[in-house]
Formats: sequence, structure tokens, C-alpha cells
Amino acid sequence: MIELRDISKTYKKNGEMEVRVLQSVSLDIKKGEFVAIMAPSGMGKTTLMNILGCLDRPTSGTYRLEGVEVEKLDDDHLSLIRNEKIGFVFQTFNLLPRASALENVELPMIYSPRSGDLRKKATEVLNAVGLGDRVHYKPSELSGGQQQRVAIARALVNNPSIILADEPTGNLDSASSLEIMALFENLHRDDRTLILVTHEADIAQRAKRLIQMKDGRVVTDKKIR
Amino acid sequence: MKTERTIKESLKGLGRNKTRTFLMMLGIIIGITTLTIIVSAILGAKSNVMEVVAKFGLDEIMVSAGAGRVMGVQQDVPVTTLKLEDSEAILSEVKNVKGVAPSINTRAMPLKSANGNTEATVIATIPQWVDVWEWYARLGEFITDEDLASLAKVSVIGQTVAKELFGNEDPVGKQIHIRGVPFIVKGVLEAKGVGPMGTDLDNRVLIPLTTGQKRLLNREHLSQIKVKLRDPRNMKSTVEEIRQLLRERHNLQAGVEDDFSFVTPKQVTEVATEVSTALSLFLIVISAISLIVGGIVVGNIMLISVGERKREIGLRRALGARKKDILTQFLFESIAVTVSGGLLGVILGLAGGKILSLFTKLSMVISWEPFALAFLFSGLVGVLAGISPAKRAASLDPVEALRS
Repeated sequence: MIELRDISKTYKKNGEMEVRVLQSVSLDIKKGEFVAIMAPSGMGKTTLMNILGCLDRPTSGTYRLEGVEVEKLDDDHLSLIRNEKIGFVFQTFNLLPRASALENVELPMIYSPRSGDLRKKATEVLNAVGLGDRVHYKPSELSGGQQQRVAIARALVNNPSIILADEPTGNLDSASSLEIMALFENLHRDDRTLILVTHEADIAQRAKRLIQMKDGRVVTDKKIR
Repeated sequence: MKTERTIKESLKGLGRNKTRTFLMMLGIIIGITTLTIIVSAILGAKSNVMEVVAKFGLDEIMVSAGAGRVMGVQQDVPVTTLKLEDSEAILSEVKNVKGVAPSINTRAMPLKSANGNTEATVIATIPQWVDVWEWYARLGEFITDEDLASLAKVSVIGQTVAKELFGNEDPVGKQIHIRGVPFIVKGVLEAKGVGPMGTDLDNRVLIPLTTGQKRLLNREHLSQIKVKLRDPRNMKSTVEEIRQLLRERHNLQAGVEDDFSFVTPKQVTEVATEVSTALSLFLIVISAISLIVGGIVVGNIMLISVGERKREIGLRRALGARKKDILTQFLFESIAVTVSGGLLGVILGLAGGKILSLFTKLSMVISWEPFALAFLFSGLVGVLAGISPAKRAASLDPVEALRS
């Protein structure tokens, strides 16, 4: 499903210094896998996520998503892929603060070429993550764990094939973290492809496959459960 | 479908930040409000002018004694060129002339009755004056040919004079003194209101021409001749015909200036419009400036808003929004703000104009024009103010935007 070949990414910092964030990363991820990518902070995890999520383009290398060479696509096509195939979950939730849970979950459907009853679908997904009684709450009226569940509902609403989670428990206490991880395990059982980036070892241990990175390179890649 | 959802998203965004939305609207509201009041006032003034012209008559020409007389400016030095015979010649020799009303007009003549005194314009004229001016006696009767023949000391007074000298009493049959000479009031004219230059047309007294010449004013020559045409479409050629006739009768050599002048309905319109046009142009410029300032405010707040909402933009891009969708969202926010501000402004402007017209002499006309103008201008301002911030929002790098 996902094929990365020799992906490198360099940033120019302050116009002069070149920073190599990713160096020849090659990866294959199959449909239905639950992968944790572990790396110390600032070691290219987020960049890798952005490339996997078609938000960013690699400096060199090829990325095939379901057989399509992504780096050859134009911006509109990438937007469509993000909309239909990828669900993002962020460390800071990234909910619209003044919008209700329901409106937040409806967001991806606004940009979907498919039509349908936005409200109905969003309510269904919110029910599925256990927030059926909170649909009209604003993010500020919800706990951190509940906010992240809204964000997960938003990631799921367009029924994507891949969920990309960037430190999804990074801003949560341990009880909420456990809740969220349980939710991810349920998604995995539903045969979705899950890719989770974290620097916390105990969170990474919940995945089925662990990829460890250091200095922009993959150092270990093994099945753990 | 998709665009519709994006537009809905813009409206939701505006609703979520009401203070910002209102601040953006404010400049536009003010601009369109003033524009509406001005347009209503201009339309009102225009309809006033049309009324004035209608009062003057579209089929009438005024021939006045003396050269280059400016309308509404009375001359103090009597010009002795225009004679009663000129008037008779115009009627008999120019085919397109239906009637003439020669008159001697004297301003500010002292009037007295048993009840009070006042000043008014005294007009010495002939019975045909009634038909040429289409202005009739409301009470009593008008001057007759017998009055003219017998140099009768009779008068027909305007409503203002009647009110000043007799209050609510019936003046017919009563006596007045014009500069000390006693006259009997035969009739009262119907009310005409205010003339083209703001003078009170009802403040006048009419007496027989002959009486005026021999017994009151001691002068033969006329002040003016009002000429009524058969066919107003031949206005220009008729004016020329009268000019040639009078030049001949006055023995004017080629190259010598006319010793009389014309006022036509066209001139009345021009004089009456001139003043209001200059003023309204100035006011339109002012409201255009306030609209531009309003547009700049909208553009600025939009730019700030784009900066503040980078994360939102990054998020929307991550969730699948295309550049186009972001552009549409922000551009529509701007247009929605200015157009709704514009419509609010029209409503406020019409209400404000109505209130103004109650307290001032300005007349306001309520019509569809302000709505069309407001819609057009505020929409235009919305596009101009919104396009650059919307482009900036659309071109943000999603990764950068999410990180902010």
C-alpha cells in the first residue's frame, strides 16, 4: 500500500545551512498494518508523517501510495488524496475552537467530492468514538481526551484507508492516553492501516510493528506483537 | 455542491467571530449609508427641478427687456426697449405663438389694508395673462377688458398677500392701497408655491396694464412678455423668429447686441440643476472616499485574520481543501461582509434620509437605485479588499501553516 524508496528531505535553514531531516528512508507498509514510528523529538518524525500524508514532498526519492506515484501529482490531486485516503490525528488536536464537535467532524466532508448528509454521517462517527452525547459541545467544553476523540472522529469521517497520528497522546494524561490507544486498537481490528508517530516507548509498544529512527534514518524495523 | 459548502463555511466563520465581522462591516455601512442619503437627496432635488420646470411651463418663453438678463436677477435700472406693440406684433406675426402676456413687474411695492401692511411684486398686465400662465382666480374674478379700457383701480391678489393683509377674511370687494393709491380687490389667485429660484410666487398683486402705466407707475414700457407656443417642439426656431422680429422693430443694426433676452424651459432646468449638481458631486466623492476607507479596513482585517488563522488554513488543507477552496472561503467572507454591510447601509440610509427630510427642507426620493448602487459598489469593494488576503491564504504552505 505504501512504498517509500530512498526518501530524503533537506531544509534550508536561515537561507544557508542545509539540514537533512530524512536520509534515504525506504519503507513498505501493507494494508491493515499497525505501525509505530519512534524517534527522539526533532528527528524527522513529523516530516516523514507530512510526506506520508501528502502534505509535503520529498527532496528526492519516490513515494507510491496504492500504486500511484504521489510526487508527480499536482496540488489539487494531492488535496483529493488527503481528503479521501488519509485521516490525520495531531498532537494538539487542531480543532476549530469556535465550532462544535459536530461541525469539526463535518470539515473533511465539506471538501469531499462525494455528496451526502454531512450531519448524519458526522453524528454516526461521533457516536462510534463514544461522544454521541457531546455533539454540540465546543472544544473548550471538552476534556483533552474527548477533544482527541473528536479529532479521531474527524479523521475517520471520510472513511480513509490510512490513519496518520502524530504524537496523538502527547498532550494527554495517562488515563486519556490509554483511552485513545484503546480506540486505535479498535480501529486496527476494523482492518484500517494505522501509522503512529511517538517518542513514548509504552505507547509505541501497543503497535504491531515498530520502526525506530535516528538522525533521519531508519535504524530498526521489527514486528513486536 | 462543493462550492456551496465552502460558502456556507465562510458564513459560519463570520458567525463565529461576530465582533470582527461587525468591525469589518462598519466602514462599509457608513459609506453606503451616506451614499444612499445622497442619492435619495439627488433624486429628490431632481424631481423638484422637474416640478419647477413644469410650473414654468414647457411650452413657454419669457422675453425680458434688456440684454443678457440673468434669470432671477432683477434689474433696477428700467430698460425702455420693450413696448406693448412688440407684444402685439409677436402674437400677430409669429405663427407658432398661441398667446402673449405682457407685463410691467415692480418688486417690493408697499401694500396696505385696514388690517395690516406688507410688500409684494405688483404686476400690471392684460386679461390674457390668466391663459398664458394657466393661473386662475380662486375667489372673485380676474381683470377684464373693461377694466383695461377704463383704467379701473382693481386688483387680483396672491394668497400670501391675502393672508398678510386680510388674515382669514374674504378679501374680495375690500380695499387695499398700493403705494398709497387705493385699489379694490376683485379676486384672489390660486396658490402656486415656490418658484425656480426660491421666491414666493404667491406674494404678488395683479392690476390692469393701463392702470399701472397711467395711474400707478407712470411708465409705458414693459418688463417682460411671456409667450405661449402652439407647438413646443419648435421652441428653437420660434425663439429665433421672435428675435428677428424684435430686432427689426427696434431698428437694431447687424452686429449690435439684442436689447432684450429670452428665458426658455431649458435654461430654467439648467439654472435649477447647476447648484445641486456641484454639491452632490462633492458629496458623492466624499462617500466614495469613505467606501474606499471601508474597503481598506476590510482588506486589513482580512489580512490580519489570515495571519491569525494560519493553523485553521493548514488544517483545512490537511483535511483536503484545495487552494481554490481556501481562496473561495476567504474571498466570500470578504464579499459577504461588504454586501451585507452595504444592504444594511441602504436601509439605514433610507431611514436616515426619511428622518432628515422630516426636519429639513430636503426632499428624499426612495427608489431602487440606492439598492442597486449599494449592491454593486459593496460587492466590488468586497472583491477588491478580499482578493489579496484570500490569495495569500490559499498560497500558504500547509506544513508551515500547521506548524504555526
